[in-house]
Amino acid sequence: MRDKVIFLVIGIIITVLFFIFKVTLYDALYYSNGFSNDLGNLDEYTSVAAITIAVAWGGAAIYYYAINSVKFDRWYHWLATLAVVAVLTPFIDYFVTSSILDGKDYGSSIVAFEMHNIVFAALLFVIASFSMRWWSSNCRHTPFPQ
Amino acid sequence: MKLFVFAIGGTGSRVLKSMIMLCAAGVRPVDANGQPLRDVEIVPIIIDPHKSNADLKRTERLLSAYGTIRDKLYGKNANANGFFATKISSLKEVVSSSQVPLDDSFIFNLAAVENYKFRDFISYNTMNEPNQALTSLLFADYQLENKMSIGFVGSPNIGSVALNGIKDSNEFKAFANVFADGDRIFFISSIFGGTGAAGFPIIVKNIRQAKNIDAKNKAFLQRAPIGGLTVLPYFSLMESDDKQDKRIDNADFIVKTQSALEYYNNTLTGSGRNAVNAIFYLGDHGHNAPYAYDPGDKRDQHDPAHLIEMIGALAPFKFLSLSDSDLTDLATGEPLPTKAFEYGLERDTDFVDFSCFGQETRSLVYRPMVKLHLLYIFLRTGLDGMIGQGFTEDAPKITREFTGTQFYRVLTQQFFDGYIEWLTELLHNRRHVTLFNEGEMDMNKAIHKVLTKKGFFGSKKVDNDVFKAEMNRISRDSNRYGSNAELKLMDLFYNAAGKIITDRYDNIN
Repeated sequence: MRDKVIFLVIGIIITVLFFIFKVTLYDALYYSNGFSNDLGNLDEYTSVAAITIAVAWGGAAIYYYAINSVKFDRWYHWLATLAVVAVLTPFIDYFVTSSILDGKDYGSSIVAFEMHNIVFAALLFVIASFSMRWWSSNCRHTPFPQ
Repeated sequence: MKLFVFAIGGTGSRVLKSMIMLCAAGVRPVDANGQPLRDVEIVPIIIDPHKSNADLKRTERLLSAYGTIRDKLYGKNANANGFFATKISSLKEVVSSSQVPLDDSFIFNLAAVENYKFRDFISYNTMNEPNQALTSLLFADYQLENKMSIGFVGSPNIGSVALNGIKDSNEFKAFANVFADGDRIFFISSIFGGTGAAGFPIIVKNIRQAKNIDAKNKAFLQRAPIGGLTVLPYFSLMESDDKQDKRIDNADFIVKTQSALEYYNNTLTGSGRNAVNAIFYLGDHGHNAPYAYDPGDKRDQHDPAHLIEMIGALAPFKFLSLSDSDLTDLATGEPLPTKAFEYGLERDTDFVDFSCFGQETRSLVYRPMVKLHLLYIFLRTGLDGMIGQGFTEDAPKITREFTGTQFYRVLTQQFFDGYIEWLTELLHNRRHVTLFNEGEMDMNKAIHKVLTKKGFFGSKKVDNDVFKAEMNRISRDSNRYGSNAELKLMDLFYNAAGKIITDRYDNIN
C-alpha cells in the first residue's frame, strides 16, 4: 500500500514540476523565435500545460477507473488510450492556441509546437498511469504487471 | 472432533464417493444455529474384502485426490472455509503412534479374510461330521465355495462370521487407541446385501464391548456416539446370463431387508438396546433401473452413482449437527433411545433437480454445489486464457507453470473427471438426477432450471469475464494468501462465486 502511495506522490510531484517549469521544458523541446515569445508573453504555456496535464491524467483516470474492464486490460488497450491522449491533447491545444494567437500567422509553428507537445502528453500519460493504476480492479497490471 | 466413518461394502464406498463430492463443494456440518462446526475431521475407513471392486477403487482414488488438494490448500488446519474445507484423513494419518503398523490407505486391511474361500476360512474340512452337517445347514454350497476376495456376494451370514475377527486387526486396534472423548462414529452400509448388512452390527458390537479390548481409550469408545446410515433396497439387478446363477437375487432383497431390520431392532436400535444413538433409513423402492448382474466376479461391481447415495452422504453431516444432549443422557453418560431419521423429497418425481429437495437439503447443498460446478467450467474454459492478467498477476502469482503442478493436475483431471463421471451417472440412473445440464459449459445455462436474473438490458450475464472481474476486485483488496497460489485461486473463486450466484442467478434456495 505504501509503495502505491509513493508512486502516486512521485507522479504528482513530477506533474507539478512540469507545470512549474513548463516554459523551460516547452522551449527546450521546441523554440521558434516570435511564436515562442508570444506564447510566453500571453502566458499561453499555462493553458497548454494545464490542458496537457488534464487530458493525460483524465485519460489515465478514464482508462483505469471508468473503462476498468476485463475486456480492455491488455497492454495494447492501454497503448491505444495513450495514442488517443497523444492525439487529442495537441488537437485541443491547437484550437486553444489558435484562438489566442488569432490574427497572427503562426499556423505552421503552432502545428510544429503541438506535434512536439505529443511527447509531453505521452510522458504525462505514462506518469499518470503509473501513479493511479494500483487501485484499479481490472487494469492495475496494465501495461506491465506490478 | 473426529468422525470415524465406516463405509462398509459397495454401498458404503458409493455413499462415501458422494460425500467426497459434497465436501469438495464446501458442504460442511452445521450446528443448530446454522453455523459450521469447528474442528471437524472425517476419518473414512472402508471395509470391503472385495478389493477389486470398481466402486471402492474409484472412491479411494477420489479420497486420495481430495487429500492432495486439501493438503495443498489448508495443510493440517482442520478449520477452513471454501472448497475442500472439511478435513478428511486416513486412519494412519490420525494415529500418532507408530506402534501399530498400518497401510497408508483408507481401506481396512482384511487380508485375514479376503485371501480365503469361506470353506477354508472356517476350516470346514477339519470339522467333524456333525459340525460339517450343521455348517452345511447354515451355508449353501456356493457360499462355502465363495472366494471372499469378491466380497460376501449378498450373504450376510458369511459376513457375520468372516468379519467377526475385525476386532483383532491392527486397524481396529489403532482406531480404538486414537478414539478420544468427543469423537463420534458413523456407519454407512446397505441392509440388503452381504458385507454391509453383516458388518454394521458386528462392528457396533465390538465397539460397545470395547472393555474386552486392549485400548487406552476404551471407556470413551464404549460410550461413543454412534450413528448409522442403513440403506434399504434402492436398485435392482438384472437376471444372470447363467440362469443357474442365483447367488444374488432381487427377490431376496426385501426378505433380507425385513430380516435384517428385525435383527437390528433386536440388537442395535430397539427399545432397551440403544447400541446406536441415531439411525438413518434411506431407500427408494420402485423408482430404480436394474443394474447388470454382478456378484463381484463378473465386471467388478462398477455401479453408477445414485440419488440415494447423494442423499445418504448428508446423513453423517446431520449426525454431526446433533448435539451431545440429543444423543446421550449427559448426567449418566448412557445413550438415549435411538433416534431414527427418514428422508423424503419435496416433490416425488423421476426427474430430480435442486427444486425437488426439501429446504434443509437445498440450503445445505445448493450454493456449494453450484460453486463447484462453476469452478469446473471456469477451470476448463477460463483460467488458461487469464494467466498473465488481472488477479493472476497479484502475489502469489498464478503462472503458466501453475497449470502443470500436481495440485492443478489432480484437481482438473483426477478430481473433476471423477466429478463429471459422478454427475453423469446420477443423470442416467433412475431416478434421474439433473442438477446441472449435461455438457453445458455456458455458465448462464449450466444449472438445471435456474436462469440468470433479468437486468435493465435483458438477462444478466455470467461468464468467465464476470468471474475474472470479481476475482480481480477481491484479489486487489486481500493480501492473505502468503505464497499459496493454490489457496488464492480457490478462495478467490469461492468468494467471487458467492457474490455472483447471489447477484446474477434466480436461485431456488
